[in-house]
Amino acid sequence: MSEDLIAVIIMFIVLFPIFMTAVIMYVGQKSEKLCTALSLATAMATFMAVLSLYSEATGGNVIEYPLFEVLPDLAISFRLDILSYSLALLSSFVWLLATIYSLDYMGGEHGKERYYPVLIFTLGSCQGIFLAGDFFTLFIFFELMSLIAYILVIHEETPEALKAGYKYLIVTIIGGLSIFLGVIIIFEVAGTVSLGQGPLFDEYSPLALLTFLAFLIGFGIKAGMFPLHVWLPDAHPVAPSPASALLSGIMLKTGAYGLLRMIFDVFGMELFQSLGWNHIMAGLAIITILLGSAVALTQNDFKRRLAYSSVGQMGYVVLGMTVFNEYALSGDIFHIFSHAIMKSTLFLAAGAVIWKTGKKKISDLQGVGRQMPITMGAFTLAAFAMIGIPPLNGFLSKWTLCLGFLEGGYTAYVIVLLVSSMLNAMYYLPIILPAFLGGNGATSHHEEDERTGQAEYPVFEVNEVPLRMVIPVAILAACTLLFGTLPTNVPFELSQYTSNFLLDGFF
Amino acid sequence: MYALEHVLNHLPAILVISLFVFAFIMPLLFIWKRDWCVPVATLSMGLSLAMSLALVIQVNQVGTFVYHMGGWEPPYGIEFRVDYLSAYMLLVLHGIGLLILVYSIGDLKKELADRVIGWYYTLYLLLMGAMSGMALTNDLFNLFVFMEICAIAACAIISIKEDRECLEASFKYLILSAMGTGCYLLSVAMLYMITGYMHMEKVAVALETGAAEYPYNVLVAMSLMVVSFGVKSALFPLHVWLPDAHASAPSPSSAVLSGLVIKIYAVAMVHLIFRAFPRELFEMIPMLEIILWLSTLGIIFGSIFAMVQENFKKMLAYSSIAQIGYVFLGIGLFTPTALVGGLLHILNHAVMKSMLFMVAGIIIYSSGIKRLQHFDGIASRLTWTMVAFTIGGASMVGIPITGGFISKLYLAQGALEVERPFFLLVILVSSLLNAFYYFPISINAFLAEQKREDITFKPVLKSMLVPVLILLALIIFLGLNPQPVTNMLEQAAEMLFE
Repeated sequence: MSEDLIAVIIMFIVLFPIFMTAVIMYVGQKSEKLCTALSLATAMATFMAVLSLYSEATGGNVIEYPLFEVLPDLAISFRLDILSYSLALLSSFVWLLATIYSLDYMGGEHGKERYYPVLIFTLGSCQGIFLAGDFFTLFIFFELMSLIAYILVIHEETPEALKAGYKYLIVTIIGGLSIFLGVIIIFEVAGTVSLGQGPLFDEYSPLALLTFLAFLIGFGIKAGMFPLHVWLPDAHPVAPSPASALLSGIMLKTGAYGLLRMIFDVFGMELFQSLGWNHIMAGLAIITILLGSAVALTQNDFKRRLAYSSVGQMGYVVLGMTVFNEYALSGDIFHIFSHAIMKSTLFLAAGAVIWKTGKKKISDLQGVGRQMPITMGAFTLAAFAMIGIPPLNGFLSKWTLCLGFLEGGYTAYVIVLLVSSMLNAMYYLPIILPAFLGGNGATSHHEEDERTGQAEYPVFEVNEVPLRMVIPVAILAACTLLFGTLPTNVPFELSQYTSNFLLDGFF
Repeated sequence: MYALEHVLNHLPAILVISLFVFAFIMPLLFIWKRDWCVPVATLSMGLSLAMSLALVIQVNQVGTFVYHMGGWEPPYGIEFRVDYLSAYMLLVLHGIGLLILVYSIGDLKKELADRVIGWYYTLYLLLMGAMSGMALTNDLFNLFVFMEICAIAACAIISIKEDRECLEASFKYLILSAMGTGCYLLSVAMLYMITGYMHMEKVAVALETGAAEYPYNVLVAMSLMVVSFGVKSALFPLHVWLPDAHASAPSPSSAVLSGLVIKIYAVAMVHLIFRAFPRELFEMIPMLEIILWLSTLGIIFGSIFAMVQENFKKMLAYSSIAQIGYVFLGIGLFTPTALVGGLLHILNHAVMKSMLFMVAGIIIYSSGIKRLQHFDGIASRLTWTMVAFTIGGASMVGIPITGGFISKLYLAQGALEVERPFFLLVILVSSLLNAFYYFPISINAFLAEQKREDITFKPVLKSMLVPVLILLALIIFLGLNPQPVTNMLEQAAEMLFE
């Protein structure tokens, strides 16, 4: 492929969904069917476009394409390297599945003419973050995505959602301003904000510290890092489930992506390590892991528990990026893949359960597994992956991370990982076991049987959600298995390429 | 062809004078052909917009040029000096002025008594003429004259509404602004005493030696000047008149007062600082430092006061105090980048704030709602209006792809250039504060249930909505493609600093 064609495709990936937002919004007022069809087509087209760049990205090419200058030296520009590509591929894939899932999930909901444009707009701006060629572009898309996602958070319009949404909005703005601070400082100090220019700082200065703090706060808020995670457990569960899956599965990763870019493109590993800032991040990450997992234990709300689990899992990602060797980084990137897939599965499965039964409390979920075997089967698979049971993808990412930690001499990190895996088991198993084995929480339909005394032990009829909801969940669950076992493991290869690229600049 | 050239040569004078002439035709027209008032006023503003465009083109071609009234050379004659800044300001004044005028056609029918509508346009054109004069003049006393016309016209377009609140507010405004002009006159008198000139550049030259001879006189003159312009443009803590005046005035008046009038004093001050005072003076007298700190206080306290307001227009008025702080911050940091930011914010804030006051006007026109607590759910009826409000609020906060973001970018960069990151933090904190009072209103308007059943919504006139939507488009345009404006302002700043 010629460079021009690649540039066109990159722009298509980012701008096409944003353009389609307007179309969908316009069409949505007239025909609901056309609106959903167009959303699906857009998500599909975006995924296909990302897929078409596979051989280019894995061929080690770095393509830069400036679109136009907003101000002198501050341009909207795009860049494709292996790290951008990995995340773009992941996000467009999950987005496509979430859109398919939305078709039925949102079927009876209000405000669809608002939901779909927002879904597609956030897709475009999320791709914009990953494919941004400089920090200015990254910041603009980051801010747009975060602010527009507010509409997803408050979609239900319940007082609870509005409260969580307000918190989300304020925290997002604080995060956006922090990143703005960081971007403006590197622009002033280095004269450029482009990615891939090598380290923009070459020595310590107070401004460098300020930049570090600004980015740490800005991206850390998005990534749900302790102590900036407070908004996350409120905001993620109140959104409609496909949106929760995207918020937790993908949008959190934009924070991690920003942190990776900060370490490797703003400061560079050597400076970052010599200043010991990686230890600061690691410390915060460890607290995040333990705290997220521990608090998840205490939650009785289904989706809230998942949200806290996200906090813990993002801790792994942040911890992984503070150790600079091949294993740790490839494990880190692979965990971004794994967590996105696992958490989307979990949220979509949880959404299906809530959609079907209306049960939001974990204590009410007994027997759900026999009623909805595929959904809960997928849930179980993903939960096992979270715990890190081989041969699922969660195991592979933890394994690789641990290898990296041991190689880097951080045995303590391995222990943290093990402890947190145990905690994961402690909060996921109490969902799974009663769902399949418990039997007292029969649905009203079965209570009738009980009353007539025909069934001492309630029999659950298989009563699954519609196919268009089951299939995305099943695909994602299959991915957790496949990406742990396949001999040609695409995400794992991408992670290895990426880690080599980050460490050496080529692969 | 010859005639056109003739007109082009005298454009600065014609621009100002035509506005005054049209202003005085208005009451006559009102008696004779009442229906003609509005079209003629619009025509007048359209003409001046065309003339300001012509001036911008001229400046871009030939650079700064001077125009001598009646051919009299200074020090005897009055000199108009057209540089990038004045041309830019004229364009802002007349572009936004025209839109406000179009908007006012619908709004005033409801807010004003029939018999004063003709007078309103007199005052409006008078105000525009005076502001154009202030942007152009290069003569200290002439500036005073225009300031007086401007102050009186500004008071009158508040008090024309004739209710108790307006009269009170405009009286307060009149007193304080008379004090301001008084201070200015005193200061000019002192400078004249020292230098013997009224012409700004000549004053600057004379002050280079004069300042050493009469240090106290210069000190007093400069402090009087800061006070005078501080009062006029509502620099904290001299802002006390603004909230009442801007909140109680008819909405088009609020738009023009908040959007344009307070800015023109900032521009006049920039002209004075850079033209009438030698650079060494600022090393002797910490005038810029004082401006810097006052603007910082204004930015923070303006936002904090705005947060606790219940009246929508009052909130917007307090927000203006904060926003004018940005403009003065750009001046006070005293570096070209920051100055560009401050000057750019003149345009951005003019666009945003006029739009927001028009939005307030539309809401009052349509439903009579003035208090923020009644805003619940009104977006279901006034969708576009509230979309405009939301984007305007986002621009105030400085969200990317809106104009406000670009001016903050320049200011932030300027603060770093002079190595004072503290002011960068001020900008960020104030952005956050803005978010605290703009976004909840949007959220309520879009998402809350409408509680009151007794509110009826009148359909909004197209002539009121269209200017709002044009300004909305302008906000986005300035956020995506600010280069035409920033290039011009960078040249302006470069010239001022050379």
